[in-house]
Amino acid sequence: MPWKRKHLIDVDDWEREDFELLLEQTSNMDSILDRSIKKAPALRGKIVVNIFYEPSTRTRTSFEIAGKLLSADVINWTASGSSAAKGESLRDTIWTLEAMGADAVVIRHGEVGVPYYLAEKLKKASVINGGDGTHAHPTQALLDLYTAWRELGSLDGKKVAIVGDILHSRVARSDIYAFKAVGAEVCLSGPSTLMPTDINSLNATYEPNIAEAIDGADVVYMLRIQRERQDAGLFPSLDEYHKRYGLTDKLLGKAKKGALVMHPGPINRGVEIASSVADGPQSFILKQVRAGVAVRMALLYLMLGGVKE
Amino acid sequence: MKWLVNGRLFDGELLREGLCDLVIDKGRVAKIAPAGRFVPPEGATRIDLDGRILAPGFIDLHAHLRDPGQEWREDIISGSRAAAAGGFATVVAMPNTDPPIDRSSLVRYVLERGQSAGAARVLPAGSVTKGRHGQELAEMWFMANEGAAIFTDDGLPVSTAHLLRTALLYADDLGMAIMEHPEELSLTKDAQVNDGPCAARSGLKGAPKAAELIAVERGIALAKDTGAHLHLTHLSAKESLEAVRRAKKDGINITCDVTPHHLTLDESLIEKSGYSAAYKVNPPLRTAHDLEALWEGLADGTVDAIATDHAPYHLDEKDLPFQEAASGIASLECAVAVVLDAWLKRGKPFGIERLLRLFTAGPASVLRKSDLGRIEEGSVADITALDIGRERRVEAKRWESKARITPWEGAALCGWPVMTMREGKVIWVDGDSRLHAERD
Repeated sequence: MPWKRKHLIDVDDWEREDFELLLEQTSNMDSILDRSIKKAPALRGKIVVNIFYEPSTRTRTSFEIAGKLLSADVINWTASGSSAAKGESLRDTIWTLEAMGADAVVIRHGEVGVPYYLAEKLKKASVINGGDGTHAHPTQALLDLYTAWRELGSLDGKKVAIVGDILHSRVARSDIYAFKAVGAEVCLSGPSTLMPTDINSLNATYEPNIAEAIDGADVVYMLRIQRERQDAGLFPSLDEYHKRYGLTDKLLGKAKKGALVMHPGPINRGVEIASSVADGPQSFILKQVRAGVAVRMALLYLMLGGVKE
Repeated sequence: MKWLVNGRLFDGELLREGLCDLVIDKGRVAKIAPAGRFVPPEGATRIDLDGRILAPGFIDLHAHLRDPGQEWREDIISGSRAAAAGGFATVVAMPNTDPPIDRSSLVRYVLERGQSAGAARVLPAGSVTKGRHGQELAEMWFMANEGAAIFTDDGLPVSTAHLLRTALLYADDLGMAIMEHPEELSLTKDAQVNDGPCAARSGLKGAPKAAELIAVERGIALAKDTGAHLHLTHLSAKESLEAVRRAKKDGINITCDVTPHHLTLDESLIEKSGYSAAYKVNPPLRTAHDLEALWEGLADGTVDAIATDHAPYHLDEKDLPFQEAASGIASLECAVAVVLDAWLKRGKPFGIERLLRLFTAGPASVLRKSDLGRIEEGSVADITALDIGRERRVEAKRWESKARITPWEGAALCGWPVMTMREGKVIWVDGDSRLHAERD
């Protein structure tokens, strides 16, 4: 199957075959990471621009390493705040990127929809969404999917529990699409105040009781809890949150034996996850980080090099 | 003097059988008769409508003309011309300008600028409160004497129930209505879309329909309490319509309007468009169920008027990513076609007379302007000619309005106005319509 997508804005329009091709390609890239000289010439002469309007050392570095391992020239464009606040409009930034001859633009932005806007305006370059506001984080979903797939094999019929602040989580939205597309069932959990009103639109079940939600789960995915949600009055205290929804060893016992514990990082120890679980044998958190590099290599390769039929 | 021949006359209530001829003299309708019944008046300009509908000049209850203070978005002249080009002979200009229209001198300014535009009649809406700050009543009597048509703090609801109650009583003494923007602000802070499927999938903050309903119910309670006339503008949610329907049944003095965009667009388009800011508006586009409820409201008479809520912005304020862009849909020049086209595509769910009343007699009655919204011998010669069968594409670059972004850009719509006349003067004619009328 050839790769036909010019941009990666979200995974909500991906077919199962798209995910399978990406997983297969990621597997190839993963093997490069084990080599003593981790460098392939696939993207020599290509320019990848990382433009991050929101700080994100992990995602930016992961993209940077991925591009460099494939020999692309990676440029980190530093930006802060909204395009309007910055003085230069995003539109002007886009024309500048175009004029500089970027082949791919990785964008992280605090506002929903910015990658769509970029893709609509850019004539030549591919756009990769590195996270847009509370909307989507497709590369995180792909690395999560790869991590689980590598460990569990087929995800058909597997149960994935996603716990925490679904309302404000771009990771959860993209993960739901990705896991559902490859046959897993997804159960969401967390207080109702951290859930979208129309939760049925997310195409996942909702179980407010975390013990029920993770009962028999193959993957327990914990989301980061941000203090500002407490400040906004969406839950009374971090302590109470931990008591109700924090993943402890005891709670993890409810999940399937050997279930994978995942988290997009950075973790809040003692809030959404107990240290003993984060550092325990079932934690795949660091494996996710490594998978992030391989997934982004695969994506850049497919989008800039492409698979020829 | 003008001689309009072969029109299908809608007089504000009924669409008359057969074709009619009209004589217009000194800005008024001098004579109406079945086609071919009288000799052409000497020296009259003959305009052959060739079977098109001849209706009272359309009235838009709710448009943002941005003047004074935000003329880069629109001004009274461009707005008045845009209204005429959209088939409106009268347009009510909202007072959320800079400064707000909160005193008689500003009412006069709007009226005079409107006069000099020479296109659609511009009627100023005055603010309910001084500076639209929601603290003290503005000088409504002075503004009414100068020519304000209605009072509203639109863009915001009247800040407190007490103030709204006082305003209703005060306006009632003047024989006028209060137009209320129904929104409970504590539920809509930072909201960008409807609190429904789009909010769930995008993570954008959602405005719940309850925010509108709470304000609608507040208004109904106060209209009941005072007996005064409250007009609720741009209703968007099924529950709001149901509340108004019940209130009307109980005899409460309530009227309401809906917009062309809430009648034809739903929130799913925001996602489908890749979060295009053209679809960003307040109140937000709701669900397909709400949209259906609005059409039911048109059909059963719950809705009194269709108003554009024309909200023009400069490209730099609107051609932006969704979250950064300003809220508002510009539509004066295509609103009538948007609604007529949807009515046709729905298989004409109710008679065209009901639809035409929503642009004519309905808004005239909200404004208590008995001389507008009807055609009879002696009435003001405001006329909109409509070609139901005519299809045309929306091309914002050809607009009289300064706005250039609209969700209907490029859409082929059926049912366009072809001529607008105000007080006997042709203020706009569609040059491609083969209608032989020249602008005065």
